Amino acid sequence: MKPLKQSRLVQKLLLRHRSNNRLWASLIALFAGTTLLLIAVMIWWNFSLILSGTHDNDSLGSTFLTIGKQVTDQSMGKKGASLFTPKEILTIENAPQVQDVGMLVSNRFPVYASLSVANGFSTDMFLEAVPDRFMDKQPNGWSWEEGNTQVPIILSSDFLNLYNYGFALSQNLPQLSQTTIQALAFDITIGRGLYTEQYTGRVVGFSDRISSVLVPESFIEHGNKTFAPNAPIAPSRLILKVKDPSDKRFAEFLQMNSYTTNAEQLRWNKMRGVVDAVATGTGILALLLMGIGTLVFILFIELTIAKAEASLSLLLQMGYSPRYLGMFMLRRFVPLIVITLMASAVIALILQEVIAAKGKALNVTLPDLPGWPVWVALAASAGVLLAFVSRSIFKAINQEQ
Amino acid sequence: MRLSLEHIVPIPLKDKINEYNSRVWNQQLTFNSGERVFIQAPSGTGKTTLVHFLYGLRKDYEGKIHWSAFKMHEINREQLSQLRASSVSVIFQDMRLFPELTTWENIEVKRRLTNTVSEYDAEKWLDKLGVKHKADSPASKLSYGEQQRVAIVRALVQPFEWLIMDEPFSHLDYANRQRAIALIDEVATMNRAGLLLADLDDNDYFTYSRKLLL
Repeated sequence: MKPLKQSRLVQKLLLRHRSNNRLWASLIALFAGTTLLLIAVMIWWNFSLILSGTHDNDSLGSTFLTIGKQVTDQSMGKKGASLFTPKEILTIENAPQVQDVGMLVSNRFPVYASLSVANGFSTDMFLEAVPDRFMDKQPNGWSWEEGNTQVPIILSSDFLNLYNYGFALSQNLPQLSQTTIQALAFDITIGRGLYTEQYTGRVVGFSDRISSVLVPESFIEHGNKTFAPNAPIAPSRLILKVKDPSDKRFAEFLQMNSYTTNAEQLRWNKMRGVVDAVATGTGILALLLMGIGTLVFILFIELTIAKAEASLSLLLQMGYSPRYLGMFMLRRFVPLIVITLMASAVIALILQEVIAAKGKALNVTLPDLPGWPVWVALAASAGVLLAFVSRSIFKAINQEQ
Repeated sequence: MRLSLEHIVPIPLKDKINEYNSRVWNQQLTFNSGERVFIQAPSGTGKTTLVHFLYGLRKDYEGKIHWSAFKMHEINREQLSQLRASSVSVIFQDMRLFPELTTWENIEVKRRLTNTVSEYDAEKWLDKLGVKHKADSPASKLSYGEQQRVAIVRALVQPFEWLIMDEPFSHLDYANRQRAIALIDEVATMNRAGLLLADLDDNDYFTYSRKLLL
């Protein structure tokens, strides 16, 4: 006679009575719950990524804010009233959510630009500089040293838009593309009176982040040292790297100190509330579904064990150990749980790829793979589920004689 | 393996026991390994109860039972399963086969637990007791006599130091009983195991070292 496999015999005795409908129902509920949970975490995680700006999502204007002091009727006449004192800068550095503070240093000397190709086009202008770490783009040639006659310039995209859609149209001037501007060379004269310096300015890039005309810090320092050695170097505007600009405490801090910023940049405040509500709602629903799924699954296991009570009892009398029988049941049920959770993970993977693709279309860079919080949520739900299931199996088996 | 009973008194029979002169209940007894013990137990004296106490199925007694180092009143479930799987085997009065399994499956479910007896031996023993031809029949379709013979073979397909039997031949005719006795004697001798047989009437199925009245 053929020797028979022990596990097949035990399976025949213990799992013969299982109801497949109940099993499917519980697995579907578990799958739905886990998938929803992962989706909730993904909503929250992707949004956090956008806010923290770790993936250069500057087009959403979320992580770098330029602040200035509000010009009021009272401060209008006071010289230096709009400048930030070192004490104020220190306070801002310690404000909620602020990760880094940079000074926007402007020129303390006259700057005069003219365009030789367009005869007669000339203007007084201003320049500003920020530390390089606050720049959204650092194009090639973004440096200046004493002795260089070429000065690279980064122009705010807003300025070009103002020119193209406001000024050029009204003055019947040609509209200019970014590449055209970059091809032009400006004559820049700095200084006043007899002592001036001549440079050639070239626009090397456009910034979405900072509304200004930017030159390398070294150039501003050189000009200020040369032409206005005694002028205060205090900044009138600061650029902040903010972890979560939607944080209410940060908004309150700005309001309390009467600092101005682009209000649009704080629009995430409301969005964040909505996303939080959606993520929380989905999370609660997910936990509910997972709870129901786990409950049905456990009831299914207990019912299966209860139906096989006589066999289980006799197996124990034969000398089968409760641990062996418990592990046997676990080995039968754990793969089902693992497959269910893996199916949820696959959904999460696909979804993240879709989100990343959609984000790309909106100029938002998001990773193609779900990040660690999603995997942590998956591992945690797997852990909780396995703990509940193994507890219920061993409890049911230990109740048998 | 030594079996000691220290003043065992079943709680449900506590009052009744004092009415007759039992040589087992409330006695200090020690059975050495390899002994062959017969316990004669008239109806209602607690024969099956004693078997269940010894096998760890019931604990409603006073006193102590020791299987060498195993103390039955303190034994945990894992130790109990170890004891049953490899030291103490049993033939129940009510056979206790898995009705949904075939004869061969009933043997295999026990044999595979320790894998110490070959399937060749198991098959041979079924043949000896005349139930080999029923190997593929569900246990529920077997007669009591056939079930009892399958239960006997099942009890033998594991290593054991003691074999406890509760009216093991109650459904067997003389010829089948003799074959079963011969097989049990052969396997027990091979295992150098002790036998403890409880039955209603006196008998000389085995060469007993001790006969006790319950």
